[in-house]
Amino acid sequence: MKTRLAIPLAAVLAAALLVTFPLWSSPWETSRYATTILQSMLVVAILALSLDLLVGSAGMPSLGHAAYFGAGAYAAAIAGQRLGNDDLVLGLGAAILVSALLALAIGAVAVRASGIFFLMLTLAFAQMVFAIAFQAADITGGSNGFSGVRRPTFAGLDFNDATALFHLVALVFLLVLLLIWRIRSSAYGRALVGLRENERRMRALGYDTTRLRLSAFVVAGAIAGIGGALQAYSIRFVSPNDVGVARSVEAFVSVLIGGVGTLLGPVIGAVVVVFIERVMDSYIAFADTVLGLVFIVFVLTARQGIVGLVRVAYARVRA
Amino acid sequence: MTPETAVVQALNGISFGALLFILAAGLSLIFGMMDVVNLAHGAFYMLGAYITLTVVQQTGQFWPALLLAPLLIGAFGFVIEPLLLRRLRGRHLDQVLLTIGVSLVIADVVGLTWGREIRSIPFPAGLDHAVTIMGGDYPAYRLFVIAFGVALAVLLAVVHGRTRVGALIRAGVDDAPMLAALGVDIDRLFAVTFAVGAALAGLAGVIAAPVFGIYPGMDVDYLIYSLVVVVVGGLGTLSGAMAGASLIGPVDTFGKVLFPEFALALIFAVMALVLLLRPTGLLGRIRVAR
Repeated sequence: MKTRLAIPLAAVLAAALLVTFPLWSSPWETSRYATTILQSMLVVAILALSLDLLVGSAGMPSLGHAAYFGAGAYAAAIAGQRLGNDDLVLGLGAAILVSALLALAIGAVAVRASGIFFLMLTLAFAQMVFAIAFQAADITGGSNGFSGVRRPTFAGLDFNDATALFHLVALVFLLVLLLIWRIRSSAYGRALVGLRENERRMRALGYDTTRLRLSAFVVAGAIAGIGGALQAYSIRFVSPNDVGVARSVEAFVSVLIGGVGTLLGPVIGAVVVVFIERVMDSYIAFADTVLGLVFIVFVLTARQGIVGLVRVAYARVRA
Repeated sequence: MTPETAVVQALNGISFGALLFILAAGLSLIFGMMDVVNLAHGAFYMLGAYITLTVVQQTGQFWPALLLAPLLIGAFGFVIEPLLLRRLRGRHLDQVLLTIGVSLVIADVVGLTWGREIRSIPFPAGLDHAVTIMGGDYPAYRLFVIAFGVALAVLLAVVHGRTRVGALIRAGVDDAPMLAALGVDIDRLFAVTFAVGAALAGLAGVIAAPVFGIYPGMDVDYLIYSLVVVVVGGLGTLSGAMAGASLIGPVDTFGKVLFPEFALALIFAVMALVLLLRPTGLLGRIRVAR
């Protein structure tokens, strides 16, 4: 009974501490540097969580997940500019719609492949989206990027305020975490794991596996799009890099370092990756080399990621 | 489009296709033998171009790079395979993930070593003139790229079809475990295959350097080109790489002239179409998609 209550209580406490971070950190964190970094960690965590629905649950290694993240970022930015309306629901709605439709179009071809071939196709099609973002300069700003993204408002709240924006990002992150947790424990989530474990048997059980794979691809794409919209609001800028291979790799590395197929793994991975790429990068010139080497070490020696390592250590302590 | 520009663009397309063949042949060789899609292939290509830059800067000569870069990159591949990939043999997806890490490191080291701006080198001595074609000037070096690509294709086809090494490769592509059971040193064969594949990527980088640019991000651009070529042509076979490169080179080149707004997306549309109509690629045996 004691532990049953302890875990939810700890979770609620952690969530409250996270959302209120700008408030209790303000005395010692006047420059707001840590808040900014934490905010980008949360955005990358949303991207990684959505990717792990594919990589971890369904066994679909997508190396082009930034395409849907970037599509969401562009959609939120463009919706704010073109519709002359800064309503948050409108911006997030546009992001979800556009990234889901894009995932549907690309997924229709890509989910016919699996394993390494799926990885190749998702990578290649993401580069197509990058090319479109690059060339459709009238809409996206092309290589200059889309600057001056308008920040949203919602029910009297104005997210031009940095603290309010952090609350928004943290809250959406928690909702996404909750959603992924629900999906993973639902019948649908178990069906995805069935795909990973034995797709032929799933077919024999009467599942339309191609459709199931496509639905996972669309759901993951839509969630990535939410992350993209928050990114656009955070830095008020979208560029083809948000759709690019480097960001897709960033998400994939986060998932793998943190722990494939675990709830918190992608979050921990995102924290590590953003730390290397944004914090270490200010001190050393070779942050990407560090990231590459860390990734290689994890693939070679700890494929189960940080969460897996912790589980093994915990089991040893208890035994 | 006038007949003159059509001919010039056709030559541009064919020379780009020849380059893509050199690049994709290495990717396809490694996949055929080891079932690993080497995602560091673009990084090896980039390394080839930047080594060429240094050779030209230091010696004022282009031609030494044609030998030096593939040798160095091949040697690197020969070390990387046993050091990293061999530890995960049989786990093909994990091996592919390893090559992502290798690619990250190489691209970063190239940026640190050579800087992160666009570089260029002149056409090599002897090929820095123009040839008159249809009344206009056409760079001789591009014709050399075509000749080099064709010569390499013939050479590889002969090695593949007529020599003992070729027989080993064909056997390995068909059934590597069986080959190992027959007493062939499969570890060495895999290391050599990976080295040759890497060297081919490096060679493509050398050939490309004077015309197709030396810039950060070229690793990703050309990795994607080579993936599209092998998916369209057929994975794991030399003829697939030829077919894919012969199609994608001209399609990409003409696309940029005829529909500049869609040009960069065109080859992906072609790839999607081929996958839907022929999931094995044009000349492949392996089904990429259902």
